[in-house]
Amino acid sequence: MRFVLALLYRNLVVGRASVQLTLIRVVFQPAIYLFVFGHVVGRVIPVSGQNGYGAVIAPGIIAMATVGAPFVTIGGQVLSGYFFRTLEEWLLAPVTLRTVLAAMLLGGVCSGVINSLVVVILAWLILDLTPSDPAFLLLAVVAGAFLFSLVSLVVLLLPQRPDRGREVFSILMMLMTFFGCTFYSYAMLEPPFSYFALLLPTTYISEGLRAAYAPGQPHLDADAALTGLILIAIVLLPCTDWVFRRRLGSFSW
Amino acid sequence: MPAAVCIEDLTLRYPSGAVAVAGLSLDVRPGEIFGLLGLNGAGKSSLIKAIASLLRPSTGRVRIFGLDTRTHAAAVKQRIGVVPQENNLDAALNVRHNLLFRCRYAGIPGHVASQRVKRWLSLLGLEDKAEESVLHLSGGCKRKVMLAKAFVTEPEILVLDEPSAGLDLGVRELLWEQVRIFRAAGNTVFLSTHYLEEAEALCDRIGILHRGRLVSMLACDQGSSLAPGMAAATFRAVTGQAGMDEAP
Repeated sequence: MRFVLALLYRNLVVGRASVQLTLIRVVFQPAIYLFVFGHVVGRVIPVSGQNGYGAVIAPGIIAMATVGAPFVTIGGQVLSGYFFRTLEEWLLAPVTLRTVLAAMLLGGVCSGVINSLVVVILAWLILDLTPSDPAFLLLAVVAGAFLFSLVSLVVLLLPQRPDRGREVFSILMMLMTFFGCTFYSYAMLEPPFSYFALLLPTTYISEGLRAAYAPGQPHLDADAALTGLILIAIVLLPCTDWVFRRRLGSFSW
Repeated sequence: MPAAVCIEDLTLRYPSGAVAVAGLSLDVRPGEIFGLLGLNGAGKSSLIKAIASLLRPSTGRVRIFGLDTRTHAAAVKQRIGVVPQENNLDAALNVRHNLLFRCRYAGIPGHVASQRVKRWLSLLGLEDKAEESVLHLSGGCKRKVMLAKAFVTEPEILVLDEPSAGLDLGVRELLWEQVRIFRAAGNTVFLSTHYLEEAEALCDRIGILHRGRLVSMLACDQGSSLAPGMAAATFRAVTGQAGMDEAP
Protein backbone atom coordinates (compact mmCIF):
# COMPACT_ATOMS: atom_id res chain seq x y z
CA MET A 1 0.00 0.00 0.00
CA ARG A 2 2.89 2.36 0.77
CA PHE A 3 4.28 1.83 -2.70
CA VAL A 4 0.88 2.58 -4.26
CA LEU A 5 0.54 5.80 -2.26
CA ALA A 6 4.14 6.75 -3.04
CA LEU A 7 3.55 6.36 -6.77
CA LEU A 8 0.36 8.45 -6.56
CA TYR A 9 2.28 11.11 -4.67
CA ARG A 10 5.02 10.97 -7.29
CA ASN A 11 2.41 11.65 -10.00
CA LEU A 12 1.22 14.65 -8.00
CA VAL A 13 4.76 16.00 -7.68
CA VAL A 14 5.35 15.56 -11.41
CA GLY A 15 2.03 17.28 -12.23
CA ARG A 16 2.86 20.15 -9.86
CA ALA A 17 6.28 20.60 -11.43
CA SER A 18 4.66 21.17 -14.84
CA VAL A 19 1.63 23.04 -13.55
CA GLN A 20 1.17 25.24 -16.63
CA LEU A 21 1.05 22.28 -19.00
CA THR A 22 -1.23 20.43 -16.62
CA LEU A 23 -3.63 23.38 -16.44
CA ILE A 24 -3.70 23.74 -20.21
CA ARG A 25 -4.51 20.08 -20.63
CA VAL A 26 -6.95 19.71 -17.75
CA VAL A 27 -8.74 23.08 -17.81
CA PHE A 28 -8.02 25.21 -20.85
CA GLN A 29 -8.46 22.57 -23.56
CA PRO A 30 -11.87 21.21 -22.41
CA ALA A 31 -13.03 24.76 -21.66
CA ILE A 32 -12.42 25.70 -25.30
CA TYR A 33 -14.24 22.57 -26.50
CA LEU A 34 -17.20 23.33 -24.26
CA PHE A 35 -17.34 26.97 -25.28
CA VAL A 36 -16.96 26.42 -29.02
CA PHE A 37 -18.98 23.21 -29.50
CA GLY A 38 -21.39 23.60 -26.60
CA HIS A 39 -22.02 27.32 -26.43
CA VAL A 40 -21.27 28.73 -29.91
CA VAL A 41 -22.05 25.80 -32.23
CA GLY A 42 -24.63 24.39 -29.81
CA ARG A 43 -26.89 27.41 -30.27
CA VAL A 44 -27.15 26.88 -34.02
CA ILE A 45 -27.56 23.08 -34.11
CA PRO A 46 -31.19 22.08 -33.69
CA VAL A 47 -31.56 19.26 -31.16
CA SER A 48 -34.69 18.24 -29.31
CA GLY A 49 -34.57 18.82 -25.57
CA GLN A 50 -34.22 21.72 -23.18
CA ASN A 51 -30.48 22.27 -23.34
CA GLY A 52 -29.92 21.69 -27.04
CA TYR A 53 -26.67 20.37 -28.48
CA GLY A 54 -24.74 21.56 -25.42
CA ALA A 55 -26.37 18.79 -23.38
CA VAL A 56 -25.34 16.26 -26.05
CA ILE A 57 -21.74 17.35 -26.46
CA ALA A 58 -20.87 18.11 -22.80
CA PRO A 59 -21.04 14.46 -21.65
CA GLY A 60 -18.94 13.56 -24.71
CA ILE A 61 -16.29 16.10 -23.74
CA ILE A 62 -16.27 14.74 -20.18
CA ALA A 63 -15.88 11.26 -21.67
CA MET A 64 -12.86 12.46 -23.66
CA ALA A 65 -11.26 13.62 -20.41
CA THR A 66 -12.15 10.29 -18.80
CA VAL A 67 -10.39 8.28 -21.50
CA GLY A 68 -7.55 10.69 -22.33
CA ALA A 69 -6.24 11.39 -18.82
CA PRO A 70 -5.39 7.77 -17.91
CA PHE A 71 -3.41 7.50 -21.11
CA VAL A 72 -1.48 10.70 -20.36
CA THR A 73 -0.60 9.41 -16.88
CA ILE A 74 0.08 5.77 -17.71
CA GLY A 75 1.54 6.56 -21.13
CA GLY A 76 3.91 9.06 -19.52
CA GLN A 77 5.01 6.45 -17.00
CA VAL A 78 5.52 3.68 -19.55
CA LEU A 79 7.21 5.85 -22.17
CA SER A 80 9.49 7.51 -19.63
CA GLY A 81 10.04 4.04 -18.19
CA TYR A 82 11.19 2.91 -21.61
CA PHE A 83 13.27 5.91 -22.67
CA PHE A 84 14.65 6.84 -19.23
CA ARG A 85 14.40 3.37 -17.63
CA THR A 86 12.23 4.73 -14.80
CA LEU A 87 10.20 1.53 -14.82
CA GLU A 88 13.32 -0.36 -13.75
CA GLU A 89 13.37 1.81 -10.63
CA TRP A 90 9.80 0.77 -9.78
CA LEU A 91 10.49 -2.87 -10.58
CA LEU A 92 13.40 -2.77 -8.12
CA ALA A 93 11.04 -1.67 -5.33
CA PRO A 94 10.36 -4.41 -2.76
CA VAL A 95 6.83 -5.11 -3.93
CA THR A 96 5.20 -7.67 -6.20
CA LEU A 97 4.69 -7.04 -9.89
CA ARG A 98 0.92 -6.91 -9.29
CA THR A 99 1.43 -4.10 -6.77
CA VAL A 100 3.25 -2.08 -9.44
CA LEU A 101 0.37 -2.84 -11.82
CA ALA A 102 -2.22 -1.82 -9.22
CA ALA A 103 -0.34 1.42 -8.48
CA MET A 104 -0.20 2.34 -12.16
CA LEU A 105 -3.89 1.52 -12.67
CA LEU A 106 -4.89 3.54 -9.63
CA GLY A 107 -2.82 6.47 -10.90
CA GLY A 108 -4.67 6.27 -14.22
CA VAL A 109 -8.08 6.08 -12.53
CA CYS A 110 -7.32 9.04 -10.24
CA SER A 111 -6.15 11.21 -13.11
CA GLY A 112 -9.21 10.21 -15.20
CA VAL A 113 -11.62 11.00 -12.37
CA ILE A 114 -9.97 14.32 -11.44
CA ASN A 115 -9.82 15.51 -15.05
CA SER A 116 -13.43 14.49 -15.66
CA LEU A 117 -14.67 16.28 -12.55
CA VAL A 118 -12.86 19.43 -13.68
CA VAL A 119 -14.79 19.23 -16.96
CA VAL A 120 -18.04 18.67 -15.02
CA ILE A 121 -17.38 21.96 -13.21
CA LEU A 122 -16.51 23.67 -16.50
CA ALA A 123 -19.76 22.40 -18.07
CA TRP A 124 -21.65 23.94 -15.18
CA LEU A 125 -19.80 27.25 -15.49
CA ILE A 126 -19.92 27.52 -19.29
CA LEU A 127 -23.15 25.75 -20.22
CA ASP A 128 -25.02 25.82 -16.91
CA LEU A 129 -25.34 22.04 -17.03
CA THR A 130 -25.55 19.99 -13.85
CA PRO A 131 -25.95 16.21 -13.63
CA SER A 132 -29.32 14.89 -12.55
CA ASP A 133 -27.67 11.83 -11.05
CA PRO A 134 -24.19 12.74 -9.69
CA ALA A 135 -23.66 9.29 -8.17
CA PHE A 136 -24.18 7.59 -11.52
CA LEU A 137 -21.93 10.17 -13.18
CA LEU A 138 -19.17 9.31 -10.73
CA LEU A 139 -19.73 5.60 -11.30
CA ALA A 140 -19.51 6.00 -15.09
CA VAL A 141 -16.37 8.14 -14.79
CA VAL A 142 -14.62 5.70 -12.43
CA ALA A 143 -15.54 2.71 -14.61
CA GLY A 144 -14.47 4.56 -17.77
CA ALA A 145 -11.15 5.71 -16.27
CA PHE A 146 -10.43 2.19 -15.02
CA LEU A 147 -11.25 0.71 -18.40
CA PHE A 148 -8.98 3.15 -20.23
CA SER A 149 -6.18 2.61 -17.73
CA LEU A 150 -6.36 -1.06 -18.73
CA VAL A 151 -6.52 -0.18 -22.43
CA SER A 152 -3.51 2.15 -22.08
CA LEU A 153 -1.36 -0.54 -20.47
CA VAL A 154 -2.34 -3.23 -22.97
CA VAL A 155 -1.78 -1.02 -26.00
CA LEU A 156 1.57 0.30 -24.73
CA LEU A 157 3.01 -2.95 -23.41
CA LEU A 158 1.79 -5.42 -26.00
CA PRO A 159 4.20 -4.31 -28.77
CA GLN A 160 7.93 -4.87 -28.32
CA ARG A 161 8.42 -1.11 -27.90
CA PRO A 162 5.90 1.19 -26.18
CA ASP A 163 6.47 4.04 -28.66
CA ARG A 164 4.79 1.79 -31.26
CA GLY A 165 1.91 1.36 -28.83
CA ARG A 166 1.57 5.12 -28.61
CA GLU A 167 0.95 5.27 -32.37
CA VAL A 168 -1.65 2.52 -32.11
CA PHE A 169 -3.35 4.37 -29.27
CA SER A 170 -3.54 7.58 -31.33
CA ILE A 171 -5.39 5.70 -34.07
CA LEU A 172 -7.66 3.99 -31.55
CA MET A 173 -8.46 7.31 -29.89
CA MET A 174 -9.36 8.90 -33.21
CA LEU A 175 -11.74 6.03 -34.01
CA MET A 176 -13.24 5.99 -30.54
CA THR A 177 -13.67 9.75 -30.38
CA PHE A 178 -15.39 10.14 -33.73
CA PHE A 179 -17.37 6.89 -33.79
CA GLY A 180 -17.83 6.35 -30.05
CA CYS A 181 -20.71 8.77 -29.54
CA THR A 182 -18.73 11.63 -28.03
CA PHE A 183 -19.92 14.32 -30.48
CA TYR A 184 -23.42 12.89 -30.85
CA SER A 185 -25.69 10.59 -28.91
CA TYR A 186 -26.27 6.95 -29.72
CA ALA A 187 -29.90 7.75 -30.50
CA MET A 188 -28.75 9.86 -33.46
CA LEU A 189 -27.11 6.84 -35.14
CA GLU A 190 -28.73 4.45 -37.56
CA PRO A 191 -27.61 0.94 -38.54
CA PRO A 192 -24.97 -0.14 -39.43
CA PHE A 193 -23.15 2.72 -37.63
CA SER A 194 -25.10 2.11 -34.44
CA TYR A 195 -23.86 -1.50 -34.37
CA PHE A 196 -20.27 -0.39 -34.90
CA ALA A 197 -20.58 2.16 -32.09
CA LEU A 198 -21.52 -0.61 -29.67
CA LEU A 199 -18.06 -2.11 -30.18
CA LEU A 200 -16.37 1.03 -28.87
CA PRO A 201 -15.98 1.55 -25.11
CA THR A 202 -16.30 5.35 -25.46
CA THR A 203 -19.93 4.81 -26.50
CA TYR A 204 -20.75 3.36 -23.07
CA ILE A 205 -18.92 6.12 -21.21
CA SER A 206 -20.51 8.95 -23.22
CA GLU A 207 -23.96 7.43 -23.06
CA GLY A 208 -23.61 6.65 -19.35
CA LEU A 209 -22.73 10.30 -18.77
CA ARG A 210 -25.70 11.42 -20.90
CA ALA A 211 -27.92 9.24 -18.76
CA ALA A 212 -26.48 10.93 -15.66
CA TYR A 213 -27.00 14.42 -17.08
CA ALA A 214 -30.39 14.20 -18.74
CA PRO A 215 -32.29 10.98 -18.13
CA GLY A 216 -35.23 12.38 -20.12
CA GLN A 217 -33.26 12.76 -23.34
CA PRO A 218 -32.69 9.82 -25.72
CA HIS A 219 -29.57 7.77 -24.94
CA LEU A 220 -28.48 4.21 -24.28
CA ASP A 221 -30.09 2.74 -21.21
CA ALA A 222 -27.97 3.64 -18.15
CA ASP A 223 -27.77 0.04 -16.96
CA ALA A 224 -26.74 -1.11 -20.43
CA ALA A 225 -23.98 1.52 -20.53
CA LEU A 226 -22.63 0.49 -17.14
CA THR A 227 -22.91 -3.21 -17.94
CA GLY A 228 -21.00 -2.62 -21.19
CA LEU A 229 -18.19 -0.85 -19.31
CA ILE A 230 -17.96 -3.52 -16.64
CA LEU A 231 -18.02 -6.38 -19.15
CA ILE A 232 -15.22 -4.87 -21.24
CA ALA A 233 -13.18 -4.23 -18.07
CA ILE A 234 -13.70 -7.83 -16.93
CA VAL A 235 -12.37 -9.09 -20.26
CA LEU A 236 -9.45 -6.64 -20.27
CA LEU A 237 -8.26 -7.12 -16.68
CA PRO A 238 -6.72 -10.59 -17.14
CA CYS A 239 -5.32 -9.47 -20.52
CA THR A 240 -3.64 -6.50 -18.84
CA ASP A 241 -2.25 -8.71 -16.09
CA TRP A 242 -0.84 -11.13 -18.67
CA VAL A 243 0.67 -8.38 -20.86
CA PHE A 244 2.16 -6.64 -17.83
CA ARG A 245 3.80 -9.82 -16.49
CA ARG A 246 4.97 -10.87 -19.93
CA ARG A 247 6.66 -7.53 -20.65
CA LEU A 248 7.94 -6.62 -17.19
CA GLY A 249 8.19 -9.95 -15.36
CA SER A 250 11.50 -10.50 -17.08
CA PHE A 251 12.70 -6.98 -17.72
CA SER A 252 14.88 -6.80 -20.80
CA TRP A 253 14.35 -3.20 -21.99
CA MET B 1 23.73 -18.88 7.89
CA PRO B 2 22.78 -19.20 4.20
CA ALA B 3 24.96 -17.69 1.49
CA ALA B 4 24.25 -14.03 0.79
CA VAL B 5 23.98 -14.86 -2.90
CA CYS B 6 23.56 -18.46 -4.02
CA ILE B 7 23.39 -19.13 -7.74
CA GLU B 8 22.63 -22.69 -8.82
CA ASP B 9 23.10 -23.89 -12.38
CA LEU B 10 21.71 -20.61 -13.73
CA THR B 11 20.92 -20.16 -17.40
CA LEU B 12 19.54 -16.88 -18.75
CA ARG B 13 18.13 -17.04 -22.24
CA TYR B 14 16.56 -14.04 -23.96
CA PRO B 15 13.42 -14.34 -26.14
CA SER B 16 15.69 -13.90 -29.17
CA GLY B 17 17.35 -17.17 -28.21
CA ALA B 18 20.63 -15.54 -27.16
CA VAL B 19 22.10 -17.19 -24.08
CA ALA B 20 23.57 -14.59 -21.70
CA VAL B 21 24.53 -16.93 -18.87
CA ALA B 22 24.95 -20.68 -19.18
CA GLY B 23 24.89 -23.13 -16.27
CA LEU B 24 26.53 -20.79 -13.76
CA SER B 25 26.87 -21.76 -10.11
CA LEU B 26 28.33 -19.49 -7.45
CA ASP B 27 28.08 -18.71 -3.73
CA VAL B 28 28.88 -15.32 -2.22
CA ARG B 29 29.37 -15.37 1.55
CA PRO B 30 27.80 -12.78 3.86
CA GLY B 31 30.28 -9.93 4.42
CA GLU B 32 32.23 -10.66 1.26
CA ILE B 33 33.05 -8.34 -1.62
CA PHE B 34 32.75 -10.44 -4.73
CA GLY B 35 33.95 -9.10 -8.05
CA LEU B 36 32.87 -10.20 -11.49
CA LEU B 37 35.18 -9.46 -14.39
CA GLY B 38 34.32 -9.92 -18.01
CA LEU B 39 34.42 -8.41 -21.46
CA ASN B 40 31.45 -6.59 -22.97
CA GLY B 41 28.69 -9.10 -23.63
CA ALA B 42 30.13 -11.66 -21.21
CA GLY B 43 26.80 -11.78 -19.35
CA LYS B 44 27.68 -9.63 -16.32
CA SER B 45 24.69 -7.28 -16.54
CA SER B 46 22.25 -10.12 -17.21
CA LEU B 47 23.57 -11.94 -14.14
CA ILE B 48 23.18 -8.77 -12.08
CA LYS B 49 19.59 -8.40 -13.32
CA ALA B 50 18.85 -11.98 -12.29
CA ILE B 51 20.25 -11.31 -8.80
CA ALA B 52 18.09 -8.18 -8.60
CA SER B 53 14.99 -10.24 -9.58
CA LEU B 54 14.57 -8.24 -12.79
CA LEU B 55 15.33 -11.20 -15.07
CA ARG B 56 13.65 -14.54 -14.54
CA PRO B 57 16.03 -17.53 -14.76
CA SER B 58 15.42 -19.75 -17.79
CA THR B 59 16.73 -22.66 -15.73
CA GLY B 60 18.41 -22.91 -12.34
CA ARG B 61 17.80 -20.46 -9.54
CA VAL B 62 19.16 -17.53 -7.59
CA ARG B 63 18.68 -17.25 -3.83
CA ILE B 64 19.41 -14.25 -1.67
CA PHE B 65 19.89 -15.21 1.97
CA GLY B 66 17.98 -18.38 1.14
CA LEU B 67 15.10 -16.58 -0.58
CA ASP B 68 14.38 -17.63 -4.15
CA THR B 69 14.23 -14.61 -6.47
CA ARG B 70 11.35 -16.22 -8.40
CA THR B 71 9.06 -16.88 -5.48
CA HIS B 72 10.16 -14.20 -3.00
CA ALA B 73 11.07 -11.32 -5.30
CA ALA B 74 9.65 -8.60 -3.02
CA ALA B 75 11.51 -9.91 0.04
CA VAL B 76 14.70 -10.23 -2.00
CA LYS B 77 14.45 -6.65 -3.24
CA GLN B 78 13.94 -5.45 0.32
CA ARG B 79 17.43 -6.72 1.13
CA ILE B 80 19.39 -5.50 -1.86
CA GLY B 81 20.44 -2.15 -3.27
CA VAL B 82 21.22 -2.06 -6.97
CA VAL B 83 23.23 0.30 -9.14
CA PRO B 84 22.40 -0.75 -12.70
CA GLN B 85 24.81 -0.13 -15.52
CA GLU B 86 22.46 2.36 -17.16
CA ASN B 87 20.97 5.41 -15.52
CA ASN B 88 17.41 4.74 -14.32
CA LEU B 89 16.77 8.02 -12.54
CA ASP B 90 13.25 9.43 -12.70
CA ALA B 91 13.69 12.17 -15.30
CA ALA B 92 10.57 13.99 -14.12
CA LEU B 93 11.95 14.52 -10.62
CA ASN B 94 14.81 16.46 -9.06
CA VAL B 95 17.73 14.88 -7.21
CA ARG B 96 16.17 15.07 -3.74
CA HIS B 97 12.87 13.61 -4.92
CA ASN B 98 14.67 10.78 -6.71
CA LEU B 99 16.24 9.74 -3.41
CA LEU B 100 13.12 10.40 -1.33
CA PHE B 101 10.90 8.37 -3.62
CA ARG B 102 13.44 5.54 -3.64
CA CYS B 103 12.92 5.39 0.13
CA ARG B 104 9.15 5.76 -0.14
CA TYR B 105 8.92 2.91 -2.66
CA ALA B 106 10.85 0.78 -0.16
CA GLY B 107 8.33 1.62 2.56
CA ILE B 108 10.67 3.81 4.63
CA PRO B 109 8.71 6.39 6.68
CA GLY B 110 8.95 9.99 5.54
CA HIS B 111 10.94 11.45 8.44
CA VAL B 112 13.51 8.64 8.33
CA ALA B 113 13.76 9.00 4.56
CA SER B 114 14.38 12.75 4.82
CA GLN B 115 17.26 12.22 7.26
CA ARG B 116 18.87 9.55 5.12
CA VAL B 117 18.53 11.61 1.97
CA LYS B 118 20.11 14.61 3.67
CA ARG B 119 23.00 12.45 4.85
CA TRP B 120 23.68 10.93 1.44
CA LEU B 121 23.40 14.23 -0.38
CA SER B 122 26.02 15.56 2.00
CA LEU B 123 28.27 12.48 1.79
CA LEU B 124 28.37 12.57 -2.00
CA GLY B 125 28.63 16.34 -2.25
CA LEU B 126 25.25 16.70 -3.93
CA GLU B 127 23.69 19.26 -1.55
CA ASP B 128 23.92 22.11 -4.04
CA LYS B 129 22.33 19.94 -6.75
CA ALA B 130 19.46 18.68 -4.58
CA GLU B 131 16.75 20.76 -6.24
CA GLU B 132 18.07 20.37 -9.78
CA SER B 133 16.31 18.17 -12.30
CA VAL B 134 18.34 15.02 -12.89
CA LEU B 135 18.11 15.76 -16.60
CA HIS B 136 20.46 18.73 -16.11
CA LEU B 137 23.16 16.83 -14.22
CA SER B 138 26.51 15.81 -15.64
CA GLY B 139 27.14 12.09 -16.21
CA GLY B 140 29.29 11.88 -13.08
CA CYS B 141 26.63 13.54 -10.92
CA LYS B 142 23.94 11.22 -12.26
CA ARG B 143 26.14 8.30 -11.29
CA LYS B 144 26.53 9.74 -7.79
CA VAL B 145 22.74 9.96 -7.44
CA MET B 146 22.48 6.35 -8.61
CA LEU B 147 24.98 5.33 -5.93
CA ALA B 148 23.10 7.31 -3.27
CA LYS B 149 19.88 5.58 -4.31
CA ALA B 150 21.43 2.16 -3.78
CA PHE B 151 22.80 3.06 -0.34
CA VAL B 152 19.90 5.14 0.96
CA THR B 153 17.59 2.19 1.69
CA GLU B 154 20.37 0.62 3.81
CA PRO B 155 20.35 -2.80 2.13
CA GLU B 156 22.26 -5.87 3.27
CA ILE B 157 23.63 -6.60 -0.19
CA LEU B 158 24.87 -4.03 -2.64
CA VAL B 159 24.78 -5.08 -6.28
CA LEU B 160 26.91 -2.80 -8.42
CA ASP B 161 27.03 -3.06 -12.18
CA GLU B 162 30.12 -1.21 -13.38
CA PRO B 163 29.70 1.54 -10.80
CA SER B 164 32.93 3.36 -11.74
CA ALA B 165 32.06 3.84 -15.39
CA GLY B 166 32.28 7.54 -16.19
CA LEU B 167 33.43 8.58 -12.73
CA ASP B 168 36.43 10.82 -12.15
CA LEU B 169 39.18 9.77 -9.76
CA GLY B 170 37.78 11.65 -6.76
CA VAL B 171 34.31 10.16 -7.04
CA ARG B 172 35.72 6.72 -7.68
CA GLU B 173 37.75 6.90 -4.48
CA LEU B 174 34.65 8.08 -2.63
CA LEU B 175 32.75 5.09 -4.02
CA TRP B 176 35.48 2.68 -2.95
CA GLU B 177 35.50 4.19 0.53
CA GLN B 178 31.72 3.83 0.87
CA VAL B 179 31.88 0.24 -0.37
CA ARG B 180 34.53 -0.57 2.24
CA ILE B 181 32.49 1.10 5.00
CA PHE B 182 29.43 -0.82 3.85
CA ARG B 183 31.32 -4.12 4.07
CA ALA B 184 32.91 -3.22 7.39
CA ALA B 185 29.35 -3.11 8.78
CA GLY B 186 29.02 -6.80 7.88
CA ASN B 187 27.25 -6.31 4.57
CA THR B 188 27.88 -8.01 1.23
CA VAL B 189 28.88 -6.52 -2.13
CA PHE B 190 28.46 -8.06 -5.57
CA LEU B 191 30.42 -5.96 -8.00
CA SER B 192 30.70 -6.24 -11.75
CA THR B 193 33.47 -4.22 -13.30
CA HIS B 194 35.59 -3.67 -16.35
CA TYR B 195 38.43 -2.33 -14.29
CA LEU B 196 41.03 -4.83 -13.10
CA GLU B 197 42.48 -2.33 -10.70
CA GLU B 198 39.11 -1.81 -9.05
CA ALA B 199 38.49 -5.53 -8.71
CA GLU B 200 41.95 -6.16 -7.28
CA ALA B 201 41.72 -3.28 -4.82
CA LEU B 202 38.26 -4.05 -3.46
CA CYS B 203 37.37 -7.69 -3.84
CA ASP B 204 37.91 -10.73 -1.65
CA ARG B 205 37.26 -13.00 -4.60
CA ILE B 206 37.07 -12.36 -8.31
CA GLY B 207 35.18 -14.47 -10.79
CA ILE B 208 35.94 -14.21 -14.49
CA LEU B 209 32.91 -14.50 -16.71
CA HIS B 210 33.46 -15.36 -20.34
CA ARG B 211 30.67 -16.00 -22.84
CA GLY B 212 28.19 -16.60 -20.05
CA ARG B 213 30.34 -19.06 -18.15
CA LEU B 214 32.35 -18.62 -14.98
CA VAL B 215 35.77 -19.66 -16.25
CA SER B 216 37.99 -18.80 -13.30
CA MET B 217 37.84 -17.84 -9.65
CA LEU B 218 40.59 -15.98 -7.78
CA ALA B 219 40.70 -15.60 -4.02
CA CYS B 220 42.94 -13.32 -2.02
CA ASP B 221 44.49 -14.11 1.36
CA GLN B 222 42.35 -13.29 4.34
CA GLY B 223 42.43 -9.57 5.00
CA SER B 224 44.58 -8.53 2.08
CA SER B 225 43.90 -7.64 -1.52
CA LEU B 226 44.93 -9.73 -4.53
CA ALA B 227 48.50 -9.52 -5.75
CA PRO B 228 48.75 -6.71 -8.33
CA GLY B 229 48.38 -8.00 -11.86
CA MET B 230 47.15 -11.43 -10.83
CA ALA B 231 43.62 -10.85 -12.05
CA ALA B 232 44.88 -9.36 -15.32
CA ALA B 233 47.18 -12.29 -15.99
CA THR B 234 44.48 -14.83 -15.20
CA PHE B 235 41.98 -12.95 -17.32
CA ARG B 236 44.26 -12.98 -20.31
CA ALA B 237 45.02 -16.65 -19.84
CA VAL B 238 41.40 -17.79 -19.63
CA THR B 239 39.82 -15.52 -22.24
CA GLY B 240 42.65 -15.23 -24.72
CA GLN B 241 42.07 -11.47 -24.78
CA ALA B 242 45.01 -9.08 -24.65
CA GLY B 243 43.50 -6.90 -21.95
CA MET B 244 40.64 -4.90 -20.57
CA ASP B 245 39.96 -1.25 -19.94
CA GLU B 246 42.31 0.57 -17.64
CA ALA B 247 40.91 2.05 -14.49
CA PRO B 248 39.65 5.60 -14.93
